[in-house]
Amino acid sequence: MKILIAISSKEYSKPTLQVGMWIAKAFNASVTIAYVGQKFSAFATSDIGLAEESIAKWGIDRPGVKVLEWAFNYLAEHKYFNAETIETGFQRNTLVDRGKNRLELFLKGTFCEDVNLILRRGDIIPELRNEVHREGYDITIIGGSKKRRMAHDLVQYIDSSIFVVNNFLEHQEYRLLQAVDDSKGTEKALEYGSQVAKAFNFAADVLTVSKRDIFGKGYMGAHKKALRAFEKVGIKPNSMLKVGDPVKTVLDTATKNHLIVMGVSHLNPIIKFLKGSKPLHVMKQCSCPILIVK
Amino acid sequence: MLQFPKLINSTIFWISQNKWLLFTFIVSLVLYFLPSPEGLSISGYRILIIVFIAISLIISESIPLPGIAFIIITLEVYFGIGDANSIAQSFMNDAVFFVMGSLMLAVAIVRQGWDKRIALGIIWLTGNKTHNVAFGFAAISALLTAFVGEHTVAAIMLPIALTLVRYTSKDIKKVTRLAAYLLFSIAYGSLIGSVGTPSGGGRNVILIHYWQEFGMPEISYLEWMKYAYPLIFVQIPILSWILRKNFTPEYSKLDTGIRRLKTQVTKSDTITPQKITALVIFFLVFLGWIIFSESIGLGIIALTGVVLYLVTGLVTWNDLHKHVNWGVILLFGSTISMGTQINNTGAAAWLANNLIIFAGDLLSTVPIITDTIVVLLTTFLANVLSSSATVAVLGPITLNLPGDPIHIGLVMAFASAFGFFTAVAAPACTIIYASGLVKAKDF
Repeated sequence: MKILIAISSKEYSKPTLQVGMWIAKAFNASVTIAYVGQKFSAFATSDIGLAEESIAKWGIDRPGVKVLEWAFNYLAEHKYFNAETIETGFQRNTLVDRGKNRLELFLKGTFCEDVNLILRRGDIIPELRNEVHREGYDITIIGGSKKRRMAHDLVQYIDSSIFVVNNFLEHQEYRLLQAVDDSKGTEKALEYGSQVAKAFNFAADVLTVSKRDIFGKGYMGAHKKALRAFEKVGIKPNSMLKVGDPVKTVLDTATKNHLIVMGVSHLNPIIKFLKGSKPLHVMKQCSCPILIVK
Repeated sequence: MLQFPKLINSTIFWISQNKWLLFTFIVSLVLYFLPSPEGLSISGYRILIIVFIAISLIISESIPLPGIAFIIITLEVYFGIGDANSIAQSFMNDAVFFVMGSLMLAVAIVRQGWDKRIALGIIWLTGNKTHNVAFGFAAISALLTAFVGEHTVAAIMLPIALTLVRYTSKDIKKVTRLAAYLLFSIAYGSLIGSVGTPSGGGRNVILIHYWQEFGMPEISYLEWMKYAYPLIFVQIPILSWILRKNFTPEYSKLDTGIRRLKTQVTKSDTITPQKITALVIFFLVFLGWIIFSESIGLGIIALTGVVLYLVTGLVTWNDLHKHVNWGVILLFGSTISMGTQINNTGAAAWLANNLIIFAGDLLSTVPIITDTIVVLLTTFLANVLSSSATVAVLGPITLNLPGDPIHIGLVMAFASAFGFFTAVAAPACTIIYASGLVKAKDF
């Protein structure tokens, strides 16, 4: 499994990095930590490059390198790197320019072979999309954003599962809220959800919402399957069958100490673009971490 | 194989990223099928459609700069504005040579490591008072930019300012206003200086090219300096005063920073034969611009300088190739070609006449009205489009307005250097913005 963690600054990205590394460790996944810097006018790209080379000669880092250094130190402190890498320290001069505004630093991890740091420049969504296309990540982990459009674009365009680390508190005891229905996306979401719950020993709530008073065969079947999946990994889930609007019910059920796990909608992309989807609406409005599995 | 929903999703993504390109395409298609306005030839009307396309694409940067350049020149042929050979001829000229040469000279000069000597010079001149240091940055940037171009100066001065800021406080959050104060002194100083001589910026050379191309009177390098250079001395104190009022620095004296900077540059700075040779070559180029620019052109002299830097091994071709923005050079060529066609097709005269009709007698009786229109149009476009592209597009139109073309051209050149409001207006502004220490709203 491959995980991409997008960070922005040491002030705001600590929870994202923390949760991202926990999940990566739980799945024994290789990790890439990416900082996407600002896009600049095409008129000045060469001039900026020249200026950045000049400032590097004075021992001053280009924007973004400090953030990667912070990420390196965080990972070193928590022993996510092997001893040799930690001893060598952050070597800014080993950042390899891969072209197209992408610099890369290859490092050796403890629980997996690769823990890479990369620096990109441009608009965040296209850059993350390109990165996911290029490396085929399974999960992209990103901090919560106040920009609603951002949530929409992440779900719509990034071709991997998306984990948004909204309002994460380090010492909070989290529960997993698995939203289940009879859609195609539920099965994979269940696989991820049960693995996460097992890895972090989370209590789990399995929630199925029906718009009508009756729960059809499909919904009941999916719900029971979900309960069994959690029991299989040694967790006794709390079964919740509720009636109402699915988005509103999930939002009402989720508390601040929940981690929501949902499958991606398989609606036509045009309809999703115009009208949105259940996971997207939940993602836009929820105030807790959420994983949308693709 | 790409699945159908993925294909749709990719298409939606492409559309979301290329809204401006599609908007431009649809609007220009509609315009193409509309009849041309009265008094304007079909080719004149079509070149104005190309102007719309170029401005829209440059502002939105929906496609890479070379793509915009190729759209301009190919449409000039497809729209029947000129044949392939005439368009190719209008594409390459001395102004483009100059832009190419000056971008290469910038790389060659920055590579020589004169920054440390300049840092020592500033410290020696200004002492350790923050206002004096900022004034020094603005003054040196302005005075140097007039000769070597703003991108060169910004690339040289930026590390000096950043080092000073870093030596003053390790925590950048404690010196944000100081950082902004010094960086804006560099960027705005460079902008002010860029009109000092014809070689101060590509836009000045474009104007000189238009004067020649349109059979208008011309001025020499020294005459330009006579008109423009004194203005720099007027503007520097005003700039320093405005920046001082807007970015009150956290420290009134930079004792520690200056002391540590001095130690660093004294330790590492040595004058080598290469540095002297580099300086001599640039001095020869400068002399060439003053003495021979009218007879052989600024561009040819700049390229001669590049040849000398290459021959002496002071810069390698790989270095030039890596750091020269070929997209900008192509775009310069195409916008100048477009500007020439705006004039040749009569579109410039038509637009100017309409402006005259709109303004009534005011334009001919009150000369300041023409200047005001030129200043407003140029300043507005320079802040959204980039100053050089503005002069390339607007030049042919404004030079057709009533009045002395030299006067109007110089007004335009000065106004185009007022790109103080956005980070995209000029390379110096973008360079300081890219440092991450100033925000877009600071502009």
